[in-house]
Amino acid sequence: MSKVKYFFEQSWLLLVSSIFFGGLLALTNAAWQPRIQQNEIEKFNRLAGAMLREADSFLSLDEPVEIASGKPRPYTVEVKRGVDAGGRTVGWAFLCQGSGFSDKIKLVVAVDGSFETLAGFGVLSSNETPGFGDKITIAGGFFQRQFVGAPAAALDLVKSGEAEAIDDEIVAISGATVSSQAVVTILNTYVVPIQEELKKRGLIE
Amino acid sequence: MANTAPALKKTFLAGLWDENPVLRLLLGMCPTLAVTAAVKPALTMGLSVIFVLTCSNIVVSLMRHLLKPHLRILMFTLTIATFVTIADLFLKAFQPEMSDQLGPYIPLIIVNCIIICRAEACASKNGLVVSIVDALGMGLGFTLTLCVLAGVRELLATGKVFEIPVLWDGFLPWAAMGMPVGAFITLGLLLAGVNAIAQKEN
Repeated sequence: MSKVKYFFEQSWLLLVSSIFFGGLLALTNAAWQPRIQQNEIEKFNRLAGAMLREADSFLSLDEPVEIASGKPRPYTVEVKRGVDAGGRTVGWAFLCQGSGFSDKIKLVVAVDGSFETLAGFGVLSSNETPGFGDKITIAGGFFQRQFVGAPAAALDLVKSGEAEAIDDEIVAISGATVSSQAVVTILNTYVVPIQEELKKRGLIE
Repeated sequence: MANTAPALKKTFLAGLWDENPVLRLLLGMCPTLAVTAAVKPALTMGLSVIFVLTCSNIVVSLMRHLLKPHLRILMFTLTIATFVTIADLFLKAFQPEMSDQLGPYIPLIIVNCIIICRAEACASKNGLVVSIVDALGMGLGFTLTLCVLAGVRELLATGKVFEIPVLWDGFLPWAAMGMPVGAFITLGLLLAGVNAIAQKEN
């Protein structure tokens, strides 16, 4: 009993503070979380909309897609269907992520309606090296352009080649091979498994 | 520390020069080097640190008589982490682009030595007013230093300050100034200048 009393004598301030600060954070989170989620949706839609210009809105699938991650728990991906004003599917977009040079890279990837060619990717967040790896974030830059129209299949990274040729070979950014490889690896991890899952569900042919 | 107007003024000014956390105490080097490529992120980081430092100093000062010596660091960390999380959520909600730009450096304020140093050295030993003035002085000293560093780097790296073009059209940007090497060189030169001035003062 004396041990219990000693415990509370020593730690009551820590316990009370933890409850108080926990409550404060819960209140703050409850107040701002809708706005944070809205910001994320807007950014996703902005990036995906820039790649799928015909899309009027993006609708989530009824169930998220699960793909192998190489770890015990699979990645859960919320795939969104881009639809035009008439409700026709004009493309697919989803959020994917992987390790970059210095931090996690989060990408929004868009694919055409038949899931055969990539419509491109946009960077939702990254902390790649300024002047080198951060070139992956330049919308319309030579690196991102290589993905527009590329096959929705496994891609290869090459250190030199014809960057203007749209095929499954992606030319790396000079001095930023790790960041370039990270983007290709992320796409290879997500695109084909999602394509297979959508085929299984009968959403694409 | 005394609670008189001259003493408070001295406490406030100490953070700006004599005990400037970056230039004299060499604390908070991680954000100093990492977010000073441009003035906007540097200013946002500085304001976030002022908010966290002031709030944590207030809480630590109020609970200073209740703190157990062996639990005080735990209490400081808990308090600081709470306010850093609030600052992080605020930026995500109201300044999402800046939040993306600053990346992990806002959450990393939790381990910024300036804040735990002021909690230990000042707030846990002084009353509320002194703690607030100390936090504002230190926070402002940190923010001004970051803005000076960022101003020099942004100017030389892009020809702009606060994203406003200020140099001539044909100016050739020094890309290196926007990279980590630019941060080290600028900070080194600034520290050398400050040390030279301090030696003259002495």
